[in-house]
Amino acid sequence: MLLFGMIADKAGSGELDAFATSTHALKHELEQRIPGLGTMSYAIAVDRRVVNVDTPLTGTEEIALLPPFAGG
Amino acid sequence: MNGNGTLITQMERMNADLKSKDSHKRRDIFVEGAIDPSFIAESLAKHATRHDIGGHEIFLGQVRADEQPATINGQRTIAIEYTAYKDMANEQMTAIREEAFARWPEITCLHVHHSLGTIKAGELCFMVFASAPHRQQAREAVAYVTDEVKKRLPIFGKEVFAEGGHVWKRNS
Repeated sequence: MLLFGMIADKAGSGELDAFATSTHALKHELEQRIPGLGTMSYAIAVDRRVVNVDTPLTGTEEIALLPPFAGG
Repeated sequence: MNGNGTLITQMERMNADLKSKDSHKRRDIFVEGAIDPSFIAESLAKHATRHDIGGHEIFLGQVRADEQPATINGQRTIAIEYTAYKDMANEQMTAIREEAFARWPEITCLHVHHSLGTIKAGELCFMVFASAPHRQQAREAVAYVTDEVKKRLPIFGKEVFAEGGHVWKRNS
């Protein structure tokens, strides 16, 4: 999966191997692994779309963790 | 500072955009480094052959030297380091572009560029440029696209301080 901005900073990398059967489970796993993630504001994108509800994952999706946007 | 190479790349892209009849086509909005003011002048000049255009509207984003409150560290931003989830950002941009052309069908062209990498305070990092037969559609489209880019494109900015250290920028 892909990590960006301050999340990549915290994790020390822009990529991470993780697997979970849903975005909710994935969040739970990542918040154990990435220091401070649990208290941060971030979104999960599945195949380049932000998902706001728990979404099933098969392991083939492109997953990304997105901290707050700052374009412009 | 932009070298000539960057400017030439920007110009080639603008030429390709102008030649393309299909303004909705997906393209890469990102440029490495600051947007050169001469690129904007050249961009305008390229539209002289389009006699159906009656007005241009341009928004330019410039890196501001924000000062942190004294209660944090009182430091001043000297640059923003931009990174992006480019594939998602370009997909989102295609959607925003389609929305703009659907809402303001008179628009003859719409050009959006955003910088990546380190952009110093005072340099340009963002351009939204629309042309139309009449001003109202160009104005409204630029305002809409500018706001939507800030809201929906996964672009991240690290504000770098003069004395070292940084803070992550977030759009309100």
